[in-house]
Amino acid sequence: MQFDGDALTIDLSMSMQEIAEFAAFVRPRLEFIERIEALEGSTLKRSALLAVLVSIKRAKPQIVIPFLEAGKMHNKHYGTMHFICAA
Amino acid sequence: MSTKQEQLKAIFIEEAGEIIEKLDVDILRFEENPTDFALLNEVFRGVHTLKGNANAFGFSRLGGFVHHFEDVLDHYRSTKESIEVEILELIVNSVDLIKETMTCELDALPTLPAAYESNLEAIKALIAFKKGKPVEPTATTTAPAVLGDLASEFGLGCTDQYEQLLTQAATLMATTQEGDERIWRIDLTLDSDSYRRGVDCFVFIALLGEKAKGIESVFDCEKIPALETFVCDQNFMQHIGIVVLTAQSRVEIEENFEFLEAHEYRITPIDAAPKVETQAVAVAQAPVEATTAVASSAKSTIRIDTNKLDELFDSVGELVIAQNFIAQNEKIHAIADESIGRTIETLSKITKRIQDRVMSLRMVAIRDTFDKMKRVVRDTSKKTGKALHLNVLGEETEIDKTMIDSLSDPLIHIIRNAIDHGLEADSAARIAAGKSVEGTITLRAFHKSGSIVISVSDDGRGINKAKVLQKAIAKGIVTADENLTDSQIFALIMQPGFSTADAISDLSGRGVGLDVVKTSIEKLRGKIEIESVEGQGTTFSMVLPLTLAIIDGMLVQAAGEIYIIPTLSVVESLRPEREIVHAFQEKGEFISLRGQHLPIVRLGAYFGHEERRIEPWEGILVCVETEMGRIALMVDELVGRQQVVIKPLGKALARQREISGGAILGSGDIALILNIDALSPHAIEMSHA
Repeated sequence: MQFDGDALTIDLSMSMQEIAEFAAFVRPRLEFIERIEALEGSTLKRSALLAVLVSIKRAKPQIVIPFLEAGKMHNKHYGTMHFICAA
Repeated sequence: MSTKQEQLKAIFIEEAGEIIEKLDVDILRFEENPTDFALLNEVFRGVHTLKGNANAFGFSRLGGFVHHFEDVLDHYRSTKESIEVEILELIVNSVDLIKETMTCELDALPTLPAAYESNLEAIKALIAFKKGKPVEPTATTTAPAVLGDLASEFGLGCTDQYEQLLTQAATLMATTQEGDERIWRIDLTLDSDSYRRGVDCFVFIALLGEKAKGIESVFDCEKIPALETFVCDQNFMQHIGIVVLTAQSRVEIEENFEFLEAHEYRITPIDAAPKVETQAVAVAQAPVEATTAVASSAKSTIRIDTNKLDELFDSVGELVIAQNFIAQNEKIHAIADESIGRTIETLSKITKRIQDRVMSLRMVAIRDTFDKMKRVVRDTSKKTGKALHLNVLGEETEIDKTMIDSLSDPLIHIIRNAIDHGLEADSAARIAAGKSVEGTITLRAFHKSGSIVISVSDDGRGINKAKVLQKAIAKGIVTADENLTDSQIFALIMQPGFSTADAISDLSGRGVGLDVVKTSIEKLRGKIEIESVEGQGTTFSMVLPLTLAIIDGMLVQAAGEIYIIPTLSVVESLRPEREIVHAFQEKGEFISLRGQHLPIVRLGAYFGHEERRIEPWEGILVCVETEMGRIALMVDELVGRQQVVIKPLGKALARQREISGGAILGSGDIALILNIDALSPHAIEMSHA
């Protein structure tokens, strides 16, 4: 995880423990974070991380999470994955 | 209409009934918590299914109404706008109207419910108003803007979008389908503790992906809360839909999910899209897979016609009788062969096990009945203007399915009675009595001494014993010199025409209700007990047998005949001392037992059998509880206690109220089951005539 100014870059293949640490890290700093990027080449491996990112977006709608906002991602192991939630 | 269509229609009716029942319950839960939009979504899904099914079967009036109602639900679930009280009322009323319209459709009535048009207009007006006015979402429900935009861009709600993405994926896969490949849909609904169990949907997607030609998944993130309330180790991903193109069989696919609970996944084959060249292969395979699917789903639940279940139960009843006959047959016992004894013992155990298992098939949780009562409480509360809180306990208690249907009306009446008469007239009266403004109604089900008790309690003013007694004397139901116990006085309110209500409301107070309740419960071989403390409240308890098909009875012999007394009524049995037996001219015989004088009823004489007259201290007295107090039945011998399968009586005996049924004993003899309450009023004079 890299914090550069107001942008956070994360490895999508975090373990459960790292996901919990990530959520704990973001909580008190949410107002300073404007963007969360995925580390290039990293692969989402746990739905818990997806849930954390959606929950961050719910708490701060203006935050930019390109990977999430694309609404879908493709991976050779998991195929195409769509993420949807109600307005 | 073809048989197939009739079958489909029957399935629709059953499913629609279930959906509407669930709607009724869910809408009340939502009314209690109008910010629970997940629940509103659930309601929406039910309504959506109902609409599709209704239109498919040509029930256009139902379909039309539900279509507009769905728009209302869709609006609120998408905007998460707070719902005003009057709109909630409109929604609740609409569910009522759906129920009524469904009945009109099923009965092919030309007319519709009176409120159909006005309710429909109100719904349409609401939607028009909402569409004309931009909606301000509530502050607490901010959603990811881009994701929301995506949904609105396609004009889709979350469920529609979810389904559409899965359908698109399947259609796309069908274009590359070849050979023995099939398209499967897998729905994952993992429990919230799945992470703690080390289960993540990504594992399954990866496993499926390893052997698939194509895989696509859709994650429904709707229930994920904002970061403030988010818990990392809790799974908020409610639905994940996976579409996979693979040559794997169902069994092979299923192996991936062996560590999941059965309710956490569902595998469904998807037929190929019609325009695909390889369609023939897929369609040809479909029936085989469909059969497999049915076989697989049969592992969890299957629907059975209750008549078939009753027939099965009857057959098991015959089996029990035959088994008893063998077990008690003296000629068989006389055979000095140990292996025969062991075989009979094994047969007895197996028969008992079969009987228990078949019995359990008829047992259902009382939850659904209690859920319906929530609506009754709500409506009565509104009608009477009394604020109240409902406590529901023991919803999981199981009761015979055949009893469930007959329980609703008595329960409704008792609940309405409790609210209308039991609770104080207004909040001022409650405050003056040192109680909270909100009244409490407690609905409870529990097992007690081999019976099921369903009780309705209120914390209201209690029954005024003096007033009840005074009214009963005035109506000539009892005389002033009768010495009645509290429970006998309370039981008077269930006499026909009895009502202490000063005013008649449209809910209760006409005195035609509680006696009907009593009769209904008696038809179920049960009884009603009333407990009340003035100023503190009243409890009506319906004590019911576990099942209508079997009775736990005490077998007694009188004048050479065997009778069965329901154990529920038996208090005690004894051979009395000569000193406690008294005889009064023209009043018959009595026994003094712990300060109470119980009339003695000679059972043999009552039924007109010739008998050698013996004195009470030479026989056995079985003390039983009747609605008019305790009596002592005099019998020659106690044969034993056993469960017997109840057999209906022929028309001739059915009119004899003292007998409620018959049973075939192991010896092949027939025994009559006594209806104790019908026995008591004339018992004394008859037995001493």
